[in-house]
Amino acid sequence: MRTLSDQPERMSLSAYFELLMNLTRREVKSRYSQSLFGAGWAIAQPLAMMAVFTLVFSRLGQMPSGGAPYPLFAFAALVPWFFFSNSVNSGTMSLITYRNIVTKTYFPREIVPIAQVGSRLVDLTASSALFVGLLIYYNVTIGGWIAFVPVLVAMLILFTLGTTLATSAINVFYRDVSPVVQIGLQLWLYLTPVAYPLSAVPDEYRTFFLLNPLTGVVEGLRAVLVFGRAPDWDVVGISASLVTGIFLGALLLFKRTDKYFADVI
Amino acid sequence: MSIAIQLQNVTKRYKTGRSRTIVDLVAGSADAWRGREREVYSASRGAISSTIHALCDVSFEVPEGAGLGIIGRNGAGKTTLLKLISRVTWPTSGKVRVAGHVVSLIELGAGFHPELTGRENVYLGAGLFGLTRKAIDRQFDAIVQFADVERLIDTPMKRYSSGLYARLGFSVAIHSNPDIVLVDEVLSVGDASFRRRALEALRGLIASGKTVLFISHDMWNVRRLCSQILWMEDGGVRAYGDAGEIAERYMNEVNLQALANQGTALQSHRGGTGEVRYEVVETLDGNGQSSASFMQDDVMVVRATYTSTRRIEQPVFQIAIVDVDTGVVVTTASSAGSNGAGAVDGRGEIDVRFNHLPLRPRQYVLRLAITDRDQLASYDMVTAGPRFAISGQGGGVDSLVDEQDGLVTVPFEISHRPSAE
Repeated sequence: MRTLSDQPERMSLSAYFELLMNLTRREVKSRYSQSLFGAGWAIAQPLAMMAVFTLVFSRLGQMPSGGAPYPLFAFAALVPWFFFSNSVNSGTMSLITYRNIVTKTYFPREIVPIAQVGSRLVDLTASSALFVGLLIYYNVTIGGWIAFVPVLVAMLILFTLGTTLATSAINVFYRDVSPVVQIGLQLWLYLTPVAYPLSAVPDEYRTFFLLNPLTGVVEGLRAVLVFGRAPDWDVVGISASLVTGIFLGALLLFKRTDKYFADVI
Repeated sequence: MSIAIQLQNVTKRYKTGRSRTIVDLVAGSADAWRGREREVYSASRGAISSTIHALCDVSFEVPEGAGLGIIGRNGAGKTTLLKLISRVTWPTSGKVRVAGHVVSLIELGAGFHPELTGRENVYLGAGLFGLTRKAIDRQFDAIVQFADVERLIDTPMKRYSSGLYARLGFSVAIHSNPDIVLVDEVLSVGDASFRRRALEALRGLIASGKTVLFISHDMWNVRRLCSQILWMEDGGVRAYGDAGEIAERYMNEVNLQALANQGTALQSHRGGTGEVRYEVVETLDGNGQSSASFMQDDVMVVRATYTSTRRIEQPVFQIAIVDVDTGVVVTTASSAGSNGAGAVDGRGEIDVRFNHLPLRPRQYVLRLAITDRDQLASYDMVTAGPRFAISGQGGGVDSLVDEQDGLVTVPFEISHRPSAE
């Protein structure tokens, strides 16, 4: 006997996860289908940026890289950066892009931006593989701190999810968000210690840099992978708390507003 | 009997106008901060927050296993109703309560992606309706078979025709184990045989105890599928009850409106050389009064006026009665013998008198043409004239639905002789 309810039906956990996988697959497939180089494009972007950074910052600017080869130093940060930046970029518009299903069928709406982030995991995996190649090429010894990588990657994914959920939801109501996000991401790259180490930042700006959750992720990954040492626990700790707070806040914002998506898209 | 859908005092307001921007947000919150709420105007871009009442204080219940037709003019709130029930959107006030798994066919194949194959899209589409892979596996063959796409199931859907696309979308929806199915005028796509099968499938769902809500402008299909009708008007419920009764009331009103439109000039965009043109067409009853509603026994006169730009010898005036679904039912032409119009020059008028109309009760339109004597060149061609409706004798629209199948009504007697053993 089914009873009347004024809430939408709960999707079973397996149906939820499978739908997420299907939308992710749809996203990956439509991005790379009919392109000759396929997922290879995922590594072209950080690779090209690494080359430019090496020329501009290392050769011309004499940027310190803490004794590590500069290309490796930059690439370790560019891999997580592009995962974040590409996810947020396409994720912001995702609910608009999927207006067809958002306005015509009911399903948990957060699946759409989450699938965008999920589809970028493919790119992240491809560029990580290239990074492993670079580690071997530069003959870097891997220490025990590598065990900490999953925690840092989890922080990266959680922060990316939180940001994407928030920007995609707000973008439904205010389309200004998308251009703001695009400009913001361009500036953000230079305000994150990607091309330079956090240690090169003057003390009076340090607090500002620590408020950027990506600082902990990037610095942490570099410490454990490139330098083979423990990350700066203060920096990572601050990032971890910020990431958790931002993710929960964004999720709340999303679930509070998703009832109105179909009305305004 | 238990209730499948219940709406209590449901109101839905939409804000219309252009999308809001950050500037509006700032302006709006400044007003809110000053403790007042007002329409935000921007001199260059106009008002942004005019409100539309899509639904106003709507309450009704649908019992489980019902076939409910939802009718009404465009903008009456029919689609908003389905969106509320499917949880795509939420009421501004009031409660929408639903029992069971809802599947909405507001647009067929809305979740499909053209780059993916039919097979992948079945999983994606059914997933959107909340099915797990296992459940889809079980239904897969039935889905493919109903849509008749075995041959193309591993082809990207961008290669599909729009009819095939819709067929697969419909098939996925009805095989998604629904308790409640919402159908919004989607059967207008696809060919006649698909429409028939889709209608059969929906009838099957109702027969097996599922609840089906069916929006359609086609009173014929509504009557075939639904025992109850909800008549929406201007965001409210105009009437709710027995399908036969409400369909008849609705048809009468629509016909009255059609009557008001009678005698208006025909559309200017049409075929033919234009040397002779129909100007005004109307349908009259036996007393010469304008009418758009006839019984099968009635006299109907189709009166058309024309103008020619030059003298034309023996043009042929053709007037056909057309059923929108099945095509031409009756044709008439002025060419035969003494009916001939002779020569026309300037203005004139022709009448076609039908002494009775043994046509199945439903709505018809007129198709008019003027050709030369040999019916080779066409001077004028208008494919949709005024609408009129025919009601049956006595029983009328109330008669058994299946009696309305077919095109014409002819008198018959049935005798039955059991053979004596």
